[in-house]
Amino acid sequence: MRVRQIIWNNRSGWTAAKNESDDASLVLYFGTRQALACGTRYRELRAMFPQSHILGSSTGGQINNDDVNDDEIVAAAVSFDATPLRLCRREIGGPHQSRDCGEAIGRALHADDLQGMFVLSDGLNVNGSELVAGITGVTGSKIPLTGGLAGDGADFKETLVGGNCAPRSGVVAAVGFYGSAIRVGHGSAGGWDLFGPCREVTKSVGNVLFELDGEPALDLYERYLGPEESKGLPGSALLFPIQVFDVERPDTAVVRTVLAVDRDARSMTFAGDVPQGWTAQLMRGTFDRLAAGAADAARQARTGLKAKDDDQRFSILVSCIGRRLLMGQRTTDETEAAGAELGVNTVRLGFYSYGEISPHATSGVCELHNQTMTVTTLAEVA
Amino acid sequence: MHRLFAQQIAKASAETGSLDMERLSELVSGAYDELDRDRRRTDRSMSLMIEEIDAVQRNLERLVIERTEELRAREADLQAQNMRFNAAISNMSQGLVMFDGDTRLVICNPRYIEMYRLQPDDVRPGHTLRHLIDRRTANGTFSGDPAQYVESLSAAIKAGLTTSRLVELDDGRTIALVNVPMAGGGWVATHEDITERRRSEMKIAHMARHDALTDLPNRVLLRERLCGALTHVDRGKRLAVLCLDLDQFKNVNDSLGHQTGDELLRAVAGRLRGCVRDTDTISRVGGDEFSIIQTDIEDATDAERLARRISEAVSAPYDLHGHLVVVNTSIGIALAPTDGTDANELLKNADMALYGAKADGRGVYRFFEPNMEARMKARRALELALRKALVNGEFELYYQPVVSLDNEDVLCCEALLRWNRPEHGMVAPADFIPVAEEIGLIVSIGEWVIRRACKEAASWPDHIRVAVNLSPTQLNSRTLLPTVLTALAAAQLPAHRLELEITEAVLMQNTEVTLRTLHSLRSLGIRISMDDFGTGYSSLSYLRSFPFDKIKIDRCFITGLGDSNESSAIVQAVAGLAQRLSMTTTAEGVETRAQLDRVRELGCTDVQGYFYSPPVPAGELAAMFAKPFAENIAAA
Repeated sequence: MRVRQIIWNNRSGWTAAKNESDDASLVLYFGTRQALACGTRYRELRAMFPQSHILGSSTGGQINNDDVNDDEIVAAAVSFDATPLRLCRREIGGPHQSRDCGEAIGRALHADDLQGMFVLSDGLNVNGSELVAGITGVTGSKIPLTGGLAGDGADFKETLVGGNCAPRSGVVAAVGFYGSAIRVGHGSAGGWDLFGPCREVTKSVGNVLFELDGEPALDLYERYLGPEESKGLPGSALLFPIQVFDVERPDTAVVRTVLAVDRDARSMTFAGDVPQGWTAQLMRGTFDRLAAGAADAARQARTGLKAKDDDQRFSILVSCIGRRLLMGQRTTDETEAAGAELGVNTVRLGFYSYGEISPHATSGVCELHNQTMTVTTLAEVA
Repeated sequence: MHRLFAQQIAKASAETGSLDMERLSELVSGAYDELDRDRRRTDRSMSLMIEEIDAVQRNLERLVIERTEELRAREADLQAQNMRFNAAISNMSQGLVMFDGDTRLVICNPRYIEMYRLQPDDVRPGHTLRHLIDRRTANGTFSGDPAQYVESLSAAIKAGLTTSRLVELDDGRTIALVNVPMAGGGWVATHEDITERRRSEMKIAHMARHDALTDLPNRVLLRERLCGALTHVDRGKRLAVLCLDLDQFKNVNDSLGHQTGDELLRAVAGRLRGCVRDTDTISRVGGDEFSIIQTDIEDATDAERLARRISEAVSAPYDLHGHLVVVNTSIGIALAPTDGTDANELLKNADMALYGAKADGRGVYRFFEPNMEARMKARRALELALRKALVNGEFELYYQPVVSLDNEDVLCCEALLRWNRPEHGMVAPADFIPVAEEIGLIVSIGEWVIRRACKEAASWPDHIRVAVNLSPTQLNSRTLLPTVLTALAAAQLPAHRLELEITEAVLMQNTEVTLRTLHSLRSLGIRISMDDFGTGYSSLSYLRSFPFDKIKIDRCFITGLGDSNESSAIVQAVAGLAQRLSMTTTAEGVETRAQLDRVRELGCTDVQGYFYSPPVPAGELAAMFAKPFAENIAAA
C-alpha cells in the first residue's frame, strides 16, 4: 500500500499532482463547503485519477498530518496492492429515511470478504445513529464501520458529500475494503470532563430535546454560554457537549452534540436521540484533556491494527467540530498528540466533522459519536 | 519557545522565509482572545456549576428532611397499625397461631395459650409445631399421635389445602380448628372453643323434638318414632298407640291457676313414665293430651293392661302446692296393623277412640272401632246444635216441687233444664250438659237458666222459692255474682226466694274464690244447698267448710231404704247432723208413700220426687200451686 498526499490551495492549485501517472485505487479528499461546492475540484481530481474511486466531503476544518487549516483541500491517493474496493453512493431523502439508506449501503457493500467500511454522510439531513444501525444491521457488527458526517464550519447550513461524483447535499457515500491483505484499526475517544449536576430529560422527541429538569434546554445552554457566546448558537453549544444515559444501564452513555436550536420552541436538535427519562450531564473540555483524548483514540487504532510496525500506514482522523471550536489555534495540540501515537510512517488525513462513526471503544458496537476524535488506520500485509 | 508561538511564526512566514508581522500579530492576538474566552467560559461555567450544585444540595437537604418526616410518620403509622393488629389478635375470642414454612411458630395470641394451658416458654417464636404438640400432650390438651398429626398437617399445608375439623378434648371441650395455608409456605390456625355453642345446638335440637314443660317427646318426635316402629310392624310385630287426655283439666287450670295446671301435667308425665317400658314412647302432644307408642305387643290385652295401669296411676290424687287434686283420664287405643299401618292413620284412629271414650263417660278407655267415626260425627252434630240451641230458644225449664213434710206445702221448685232439640225431641240434661261443659257453653246456658228461673219464679206465690243448680264451672266464673244480681233485679225477685244448689265436686276444688263467692251470695239472702249429698267423695268436712242452708240427700239412699238398713242409718245420721247444724234436709227421689213415711221417720224435713210430682213445664205450676198437695194426694 502506498499513500501520496496532495494539497490544493487558492494560490497554487493542486500541488505535486501533475505529470505523474498514478495507480491509486482510492482518492480521499476534504475541503470547505465553499471550496468544493462548484464541483471543479472533483473534476480536476477525476481527471488526475480516472480509474480511482474518489470519495470526499465538506468539513469544519481539514487535517493534514499535524496541520489543521480552513483554506486548503487535503487529499490522499491510496494505492492498494491486494485489496479490492467497492464504492457506493445513495441519496438519503431525509433524516427519517436514514435507516433505509444505511441498509441500502450495507446491502451494496456486503460480501463475505468485506473487512471494513468507511462512510461519509451529509451532516445535517441525517439521523446518524439510524444510518449506522441500517448499515451494520446488514453487514453485522463484526465488520468495522468508521467515517463521519460532513461539516460546514461553524455555519451549519449545508454539507456536501461526493462518491465518484461532484460533492453535493443529501448524499451518503461509502467505500468497502475486501480481501485478506487489508488491515483496519480504529479508535475513538473524547477527553471531555463531566461537570455539574445530573439532569433528567423531562421532555424530548427523538433527537429534539425540549426540557431538562423541567427547564427549557436552551435556557440552560444560554446561561452557561453567557450572552456573548449565545449569539454563536448552535455552534457555540458544541463547547458544552452533553452525555446522556439510562440510569438503569449506565453503559448506554453516549455524548451528543447540537446540530440546531429553535429559539421559539426553546428546543435543541442533537445529532442523535436524547430519550425522555434518561439522565443528562453537561461536559466541558480543556486543551490538555482533549489532546490526551485524541492520543488515546490514536493509540487504540494503532494497537488494534494487526500489522508490522514498518508497514506503510494510512490514518484517517475524524474529529468533532466542537473540539476545534473550543481549542481554536490550539487544535493542533490534538493532531500532534494523535500523530505522536501513530508514528512517523503513518500518513494522516482527516477533517472536523458534525459526527464521528466508529466502533465503541469498549463495546465494539459501531455507533455515531459526538465530540470525539476517531482514528481509522489502514495497512496491507503481504 | 512556546509550541503555539512557533506554529504561529511558521504560519506567518512566507516560503521565502520572510516573516509577515501583521499575520503574526493577528495570530498572537487571536490566541489571546481565545484564551480569554476560554477563561471566561471556564469561570462562568464553574460559578454556575457551584450555584447549581449548591441548589441541588439544598434540594437534597430539604428532600432528606421531608423524607425523614415521611419515614417518621410512616413508622408511627406502622406502630399504630401494629398496636391495632396486636389488640385485635389479643382480644380475639379464638385462639390464633401462625407457623412459617419450616413449621416454626411465628406468633400466637393469649387466647391460644390459655386454651391449651401453655406456659410462655412453650410459645416462643421459633419453636416447632412438634414442640407445641408435645407440650400439649404433656398437659393433656392433645390426644393422638403427635408425629402423625404433624406429618399430616404439614402435608396438607404443602398441598395448599385448608383443613378444618372438630377436636374433642379429654376435658370435655370441643374445639373447631381451621388451618389455612399462607403465601410462603406457612399457615395460620384458628382454634375456637365451641363447647357452649354445641351444647346450645344440641339443646335446641332437643327442644325442637321435646315438650318444654314435661321434657317428653313432642308431636314431631312421636311421629318419627312411630314411623320407625311401624317399619318393624311390617316385619310381623304389633304395636299400640294410646291417646289420652285429662278429664277436668280445664277446671284445674281455671280454678287453681296455670302454674298448678303445669305442675299437674308434670306430675302426670312422671306417672306415665312409670307405666311404660323404656322401649315405649310417651309424648305430650298438646295441652293435656298425651300419646303413647307401646311397641312389641302380643295382642290387644297388652294395650288394655297398659291403659288400666295408666288410668289407675293418673287418677290417684295429686298434692299440688297443698291442693288435693283428682283427675281422670280417658284413653283411646289404636292397634297396628289392625287399625292402620300408617302413622297418621293410627294417630287419627287412636284420637277417635279417645273421643269415643269421652263420649262414653270419663275415665274410661276405648279401642278404636270402625263405627266410631260415625259416632264422632253424631257428637259433632250435637255440639253444633247445642251452640245454636241457646240462640234459637230451644231450652226450656221444667220444675219439680220440694214439699214440706210438715204440711205438704210446696216450699220450693227446682229448675231443671230441658232441650227441645228440633227433629230429636226432648233431650235429657245428662246427654248434653257434659258436652256443653266441654265446649265451654255451660256458663252461658247457666246464666240463661238463672235469669229464666228468676223471671218465672217472680210470678209464683211469694212463699215459694226457686232452686237452680250451679255447675263447678259456673261457680268458678267471675260473672256468677253479677249474673245472679241482675237476674234477681230484672225479675224483681227477692233474694231469699232463690236457692242455689252445688254439688260436692264444687267443694272438692275448694278455693278461696269459690268460698268467697258462696259467702257473698249467702249474704245477699240467697240460700245455698248441698246437692246430691252422699255421692262422690262425701265428706263431712265439706259441711264444715260452708254454712249450707240445706242438704239434699241423694236419691240412691232413698231408693235403698227398702233394702238396707245402711241407707236408713245414713239418711238418719245426715238428717240428724243437719238438724244440729240448723240445716234442713231434702230427700231426693221419693216415689212412694212408704219412702215418704220412712224419710219422715228418719228426720228429713222435705222431700222431692215423683211421689208428689215429676218435673213439669212452668205453665203447669200455677195449677199445682192452686191446689195444696195434701188435697191432691188425698184425692188420689
